[in-house]
Amino acid sequence: MIERPVIQPWSAKIVAIRTQIIISALVPAALLGLVVLLTSIDFSLALIAIFLPAQLLCAGFVGFKNFNKRGVKDAALLVLVYFFSAMVFVLLMSVLFSVIAKGFGAISPHFLYENNKYVSSTTTLEYGGVGHAILGTLLIVALTTIVAVPLGIAMAVYLTQSQAKHLGLVRTVTQALSGLPSVVSGLFILSLMPVLGLERSGLTGALALFPLMLPTVARVAEESLKLVPADLRLAALALGAPNYRAFFQVILPAAKSGIITALLLGLARVVGETAPLILTTNANNGTNLNPFAGGIASLPTFVYSFLGSGYATSQQRAWGGALVLLLLVGVLFASARIFGRTKSLKTKSKGKKK
Amino acid sequence: MAKPENTGVVAPERRKLVSGPLGKGDKWFFRSTSIAANFAFVLVGLILVFLFTSAWPALQSQGLGFVFGSKWSVEDGSKAVMQLGPMLWGSIQIAIIGIALATPMAVAAAYLIVYLLPQRIAKIATAMIDLLAALPSVVIGLWGILVFTPVAVHWATIANQAFGWFPLFAVKDPTAVLSDSPFIAGWIVAVMIVPIITSVTREIFTQLDDALVNGALALGGSRFSVLRRVILPTAAPGILGGILLGMGRAIGETVAILYVLQLDFHINWYQILEPRGGAVASWILARFGEANKTEFQGLMAAGLVLFIVTLLVNILANVIVNRSKAAR
Repeated sequence: MIERPVIQPWSAKIVAIRTQIIISALVPAALLGLVVLLTSIDFSLALIAIFLPAQLLCAGFVGFKNFNKRGVKDAALLVLVYFFSAMVFVLLMSVLFSVIAKGFGAISPHFLYENNKYVSSTTTLEYGGVGHAILGTLLIVALTTIVAVPLGIAMAVYLTQSQAKHLGLVRTVTQALSGLPSVVSGLFILSLMPVLGLERSGLTGALALFPLMLPTVARVAEESLKLVPADLRLAALALGAPNYRAFFQVILPAAKSGIITALLLGLARVVGETAPLILTTNANNGTNLNPFAGGIASLPTFVYSFLGSGYATSQQRAWGGALVLLLLVGVLFASARIFGRTKSLKTKSKGKKK
Repeated sequence: MAKPENTGVVAPERRKLVSGPLGKGDKWFFRSTSIAANFAFVLVGLILVFLFTSAWPALQSQGLGFVFGSKWSVEDGSKAVMQLGPMLWGSIQIAIIGIALATPMAVAAAYLIVYLLPQRIAKIATAMIDLLAALPSVVIGLWGILVFTPVAVHWATIANQAFGWFPLFAVKDPTAVLSDSPFIAGWIVAVMIVPIITSVTREIFTQLDDALVNGALALGGSRFSVLRRVILPTAAPGILGGILLGMGRAIGETVAILYVLQLDFHINWYQILEPRGGAVASWILARFGEANKTEFQGLMAAGLVLFIVTLLVNILANVIVNRSKAAR
């Protein structure tokens, strides 16, 4: 055994640089605090005009002191990256925090199950709620899901299992469809309605959501089917299984969690869509459990209409509806991530066994 | 060499293969999936055909002026003038502002997630970005009008006071409240497209060959030089594709913009702080409720234009993204 020297000559330098970096990060912040407190300068102006240049200067100085000219560029890069990322973070937190804080004031148990039958835009928050809108959203989205999910999975199967020549084209068109503006989807169903002889109802709303949900489901399902090792399918085929049995008995169970993720992400995609529902469904203040006739309420249109009326209480109702919607999206999203996680663990352990 | 004797054994006739390469079940399996996959084409075709047939009368009566003119008056049924110019330009303008604001944020966030954060925190950050992508546009619109607009008006006033001499930040009446402007709509759109650009860029960054980056570092590259000379040149097409994807989303955005923008048919070329602008999708939604038959056809035509533009942008974006992924 060779005795390795314990002394690390670079460690002292690293500690020195770290201290300098921490100091160079604290000085501009302190400067910003002082300036905002002492003068009446606007905070966001001070952030851009004082904090950012000061931070760049400090970091650049530390960089120059330790690494010469190239250190300056590195320091500037890091400062800008952190600054812009912090902006993203602040925007996201601002949206989440304001919806939660303002929506919480409007939410009470009865807000969740009552409907809006006798509520005008100035009625106090003691009456009425989003119950009818929750039920309406669930009905409409369920109708969409029944059609969109099997079709999306079938698309994904075709994209992963077949060897057709125009696969690339199919994939490109499917991906391009996922950028379909929601308002166009609504207009499409509107122009389709007279041909099919449909009246505005929950069904037309569900139809309008369908082109929006389909590409999302197809894309996520395709990714999850791709993750299933090709050996599994080949082994099943070698044992004499026909392709459809190989799919239903081997591939689908292996990709189950990914398929569920596709379902959940598809749901999260359409549950908050507003424009198609405004175009293709009639509003309703009461509860309507029949998606095939009559007006039907939904959470996004609930928020939309109450925000439009402009009174303080109706704005509060809109915040409350937005919070419920956000919770719904959050639950869908969180469960999608949980399912997605178990999937990745499984494939990892499979890889190790090999 | 002796001739082979005729032994009198007759070779059996060749049998017909009983089982084909695909059984009956498989045929149905592949047939149904292929129908499902080709449904994508059918859907695009249906949307085009139906929008076109409903929009045809309007397109016919308005001609090319529908896209380039700037007037919308439908009170007089037979002489209705529907010209979408300002709305179309407004959509593009807002998309440009949104992209200009979102790209630095998105690329910075992607760089932070891939190269700077420890893996655990990076995972949380990725989840947060994805959550931002999943926020419904009506929620962002609500936030935009009630929370963000007051702040942004403040920023707009400062920008106008400081840089009012520059045409981009000039306004007609500096004492007015600078709300409902393309500037604010651009910010709202930026909030929506940041996650799109970030996730595409992040994916491109992670797929980048590690050996390339490590090699550059080993040759004495600094963070900046590696980003500038290695990462960005290889990832640039992918980032561009992500930006185009974001652009498609920005052009099609409806509800959120409707809240925060004053739609106006006096075309606003570049004065982004002025409280008037346009957005095709929002205009459709705004007019839809009170439209008569003629105007309805005009709105269908607007939808058709919107669909064609976003479809082209999206196809281009996806082709670029896929190509840059395949190159790796």
